[in-house]
Amino acid sequence: MPAMDAIIQDLTRRGAGLLAWLRAWRGFGHFAAVAIVEALTPASYNNATRSVVQKQIYFTAWQILPTFTVFSAVLSFVLIQIVVDTARNYGFAQHALEASVRILVLEILPLLTALFVGLRSGAAINTEVALMVVHNEMKALEDTGVDPMRFEFIPRVIGGVISVLALTAVASAVALVLAYLAVYGFQAWSVHEYNRVMGNIFNLPVIAMLWAKVFAFGLAVTVIPISEGLAAPAGKLFFVPISVLRGMVRLFFVLMLVEVLSLVLKYI
Amino acid sequence: MADDADRRVVIAPAHDPDNSLVSEELPLRANLSVLENIAIVPQYRHNMAYEQAADLAWTLLVRLNRSDCAFKRDPDLSHEERFVAKLLRAVIRAPSIIFIDRPALLLPDTHYPPFVSATLDGVADKINECWIVDYSWNEPLYAPR
Repeated sequence: MPAMDAIIQDLTRRGAGLLAWLRAWRGFGHFAAVAIVEALTPASYNNATRSVVQKQIYFTAWQILPTFTVFSAVLSFVLIQIVVDTARNYGFAQHALEASVRILVLEILPLLTALFVGLRSGAAINTEVALMVVHNEMKALEDTGVDPMRFEFIPRVIGGVISVLALTAVASAVALVLAYLAVYGFQAWSVHEYNRVMGNIFNLPVIAMLWAKVFAFGLAVTVIPISEGLAAPAGKLFFVPISVLRGMVRLFFVLMLVEVLSLVLKYI
Repeated sequence: MADDADRRVVIAPAHDPDNSLVSEELPLRANLSVLENIAIVPQYRHNMAYEQAADLAWTLLVRLNRSDCAFKRDPDLSHEERFVAKLLRAVIRAPSIIFIDRPALLLPDTHYPPFVSATLDGVADKINECWIVDYSWNEPLYAPR
């Protein structure tokens, strides 16, 4: 029964692939849970870990702040102009401010920030952790009495989350100023009207959901690269690019999943 | 010891939390300098300020005349410098026993028995006990300590 054998082999192969995929997601979920618990444990913090958190924030947020601010300002300005012009053309000028702020601040800028940090720092973290595993550096740290989870990984997660939150806040603040200027021009008399529109948009549930989403983005851009790097086999240097490739693809899907989930919760 | 299986038995206690292992298989942290690799141990384990931990590490490097490699990272180190960095990373922890696993692997271009002996003498007061783990056919290389 060659046909039956071929079917069995195919199913076995697919089953093994599915199990490996599930194991990878389980590893990611487990690491995320451990990271959150460790981050909330005061004992995780000492001079060494605080120093790594500071370095992570410096490299992930501070170092790219000027470039990122200029980039997000240009993108925000272009998108706001498109929304405002389109709204005026269709006779919905009174909704231009609300539409542009909802699109930019609630949806595009948080996702863009997460992608920016993910591509820049996430890829670097994934590579570094995979190399640590390949070169046995984690075992070396453990031997000296330094817990790699607390010294190397948790500070990166904390630094990554703070960086994504901070960069999103900066990009959003810039977008809010640009939205005012695009709709009302260079004058201060419309601040009251502007505040009323902002008050309508940013009610408590919307703010809570926005920060929950940004927090999830921040976790994803560090937890996924680290857990993918940890899955690299020791001593096999050729596996590092594969690990980074897998980490980045998985990160992309998780970011999209979080974004779609937030849209579903908000609008459906 | 006679072979690799024997070696694994001998160095098994080195993985005890009270002991330390200096080995080719346990590299320095690649993104840290020698000074940071040594200082990170008291900084993490005793919540010491970095400046204080770095001072301790610096003092040890000076004692072994290796302060010139303090700010180098692993790929820039000679075998001797790397050996000293690994040894001091173990010494600063003040473990009960330091195991030096096959010095020939750590110091391939050095007449290592006198070098290891001189290095250990330089920090003798900081070491509780030190075991050099090597194959039995290398025994004649070592003078009794």
